[in-house]
Amino acid sequence: MIKNLLSSLVVYLVSALSSPVLITAEPITGNAANGKEPYFNHGCYACHGYRGIGKHNIANDVSGIMMNESVFLIFLRARSELNPPLPFQGMPHYPESSLADAEALDIYAYIRTFKDSPPLAESNTTLQAIIRSAQSQHQAQ
Amino acid sequence: MTKKQSDTPSKTGSKISRRGFIGASVVGGATTVLAPTALGNTNEAATNPAKSLPPSEAQMEREVGSSMPPEPIHNVKRAASDLMVQVLRDLEIEYVALNPGSSFEGLQESLVNYGDNPNTMPEVISALHEGSAVDMAHGYGRAEGKPMCALIQGTVGLQNGSMAIYQAFHGNTPLIVLAGNDQHNFLKVHTGEDIAALVRPFTKWDAQPETLEETLVALQEAYRQTITPPCAPVLVVLNSEIQKQEAGDVQLPTYTSPDIQGISQDQADVIAQDLIQAKNPHISVGRLRTPHGIASAVELAESVAASVDTTATQGPMSFPQRHPLVGPGTDKDYDYHLGLERNASQVSITGPSLKSLMKRDVAGVRFGWMQDPSMRRGPTPEVLLNADAEASIQLITDAVRQRLTEEVTRSIGERNQANTKNNQTFKMKSLRQAIEKKRPGWNGTPVSLARMYAELWPLIKDLDWCLASPTHFSGRHHRELWDHDKPYSYLGQFPAAALGYGLGASTGAALAAKDRDRIVINIQADGDFNYMPGSIWSAAHHRLPMLIIMHNNRAWHMELMYLQYMAGVRGRGTDRAHIGTTFRDPYIDFAKIAEGYGMKSEGPISDPEQMVAALKRGVDTVRNGEPYLIDVLTQPR
Repeated sequence: MIKNLLSSLVVYLVSALSSPVLITAEPITGNAANGKEPYFNHGCYACHGYRGIGKHNIANDVSGIMMNESVFLIFLRARSELNPPLPFQGMPHYPESSLADAEALDIYAYIRTFKDSPPLAESNTTLQAIIRSAQSQHQAQ
Repeated sequence: MTKKQSDTPSKTGSKISRRGFIGASVVGGATTVLAPTALGNTNEAATNPAKSLPPSEAQMEREVGSSMPPEPIHNVKRAASDLMVQVLRDLEIEYVALNPGSSFEGLQESLVNYGDNPNTMPEVISALHEGSAVDMAHGYGRAEGKPMCALIQGTVGLQNGSMAIYQAFHGNTPLIVLAGNDQHNFLKVHTGEDIAALVRPFTKWDAQPETLEETLVALQEAYRQTITPPCAPVLVVLNSEIQKQEAGDVQLPTYTSPDIQGISQDQADVIAQDLIQAKNPHISVGRLRTPHGIASAVELAESVAASVDTTATQGPMSFPQRHPLVGPGTDKDYDYHLGLERNASQVSITGPSLKSLMKRDVAGVRFGWMQDPSMRRGPTPEVLLNADAEASIQLITDAVRQRLTEEVTRSIGERNQANTKNNQTFKMKSLRQAIEKKRPGWNGTPVSLARMYAELWPLIKDLDWCLASPTHFSGRHHRELWDHDKPYSYLGQFPAAALGYGLGASTGAALAAKDRDRIVINIQADGDFNYMPGSIWSAAHHRLPMLIIMHNNRAWHMELMYLQYMAGVRGRGTDRAHIGTTFRDPYIDFAKIAEGYGMKSEGPISDPEQMVAALKRGVDTVRNGEPYLIDVLTQPR
């Protein structure tokens, strides 16, 4: 339990400290094209979707663990002590023995290509229909 | 006489009481005692239990249909099984889902041929697996708050259906399982002396009547038991020979409704007085038993203009989600908080739980739910009243009305306006926030699950609909975007957290919808689909109004993530977690499966614009009384 807490603290600190003020932006050295296959094979898509939108969104993200390659790598390697007693669906630990640095950096580069530009609610017919339906219901009340 | 008794099993589970009673059951303070019968038993098989022997050559010949049925030939004028059907008809059992078996051809023949309008009330529903039959009854029971029957073959069929019974048990769902049993003339491996013992720990009540008279009484008692809290599946084992015998002048027994215990008048008066005096009352409504209970809860809330919270987005039979009183009201600092099948700060009225049935674990399985105390969310009530809420509400409402003065009525009217206004503001704010969260990935391929739910809502919002499938895996986006205003708007999660339930249960909900101008939506998880896909054929055959939209992420996705995490913990092979957890090489083509079973279908679709067009076609088809399947390739979660 204590180990788990310490590991969680490391992850938290990595995320908290990786602000633009403290860490200088780094160039992307990984190969985005090569990153597509390991992104899928190592199950990143399971939580983050096929293009970075899923249970936990990472498209368009250049903060926190996605700030740069160094932080990304630290995050992947920092969860070795997280061994919950129950089946768990959280972010897995990715040690170098399972995912080499080069592959991890390719994945990082691939994730950085994810751009999501959803429609504004105001300009989307479906979403507007949902809002209007609720409004009309309230007027009827 | 001999009788296999039901509610209080023996310690061994195989030797059960042989008294002249069908049973006496004490449930939640309500006692129902069946009159002892004085009829003698002429069934030789019942007094000469089967021995465990391999089938003889003659029995095998009969099993494969190569020989005639054994003597005696039952050429009767008034078939006993006709009376069984009449009892079901009088109880307004709409459907009997069955997978045919060799121990109930008497009853099945009566179901399809008896009466001026044969195969009507109940109508036979063809199921391709006993588990599907029970799941159908489960879905129907959750949607309607009353039982239908699943008719299955003794021992073998009962074992096939047992998981579905277990699921329905945890769903507190009323349903009646009828299991045929032939201890005399047929394969011994299909028989047992006490086959109900197979499922006794997770049924509420069972009986194995040994005369026609007892059978008719048992069917009525089964109905009473399953609709009495705690609602749960019940089982009647039907002797195959009794089904086929001459009824003679046997009369139908008189049915009496169960006496379901609510709170006392004194307790109702105290609650009413507190509600009247409160400046800011709040009512938490959980799962009631029937639509009538919901109507009563609405009447009570409106009588005092209490703000309300509901479980309508979590499961069936709760307060309408978009009722103007649902929401936090003007102030969440409530001075009186009443719970109806929910915990509340002041008074909570909750009926008996499944734990009252623990004594039925005669085999000593000791399921986990039996060992751990049930945890009910919410505050610890000052007063916990162990009584059925639905049976209590009208007493409280009547007591409130007796206390309404002109001044109190004016105050309640002002509170009603204030609560309505605040709740509307709260709901619109919540809806706009939810929509912002649904936008990401809107145009993504494969399809965003949030968009799937969003696009579906404008197509069905003006229809009478029921979302029958569990939605946990597909994100539960309906909870924020749709209006859950009917008792059956959403039927809830897998009650026992076990896959294989969604398709059958949705088919059962579609049975409930069929003649009620209602459609059923089934957001169908691909992993769940593959356990018992035969319900597709049942839905096609019976022309059920069910729209199946596949949440096809090509995996048992939760298990994929579990395995992935475990590999990470051990620092190896995080790229191998797909082994045993995914449907790859080859991918499963659900549209072709549906087509093979005779259901209209299309897909796979991964483009969201194409999905929108497909949804419109699907809704139109289902509105015309035919099921439809759309295979949508989705984002995993």
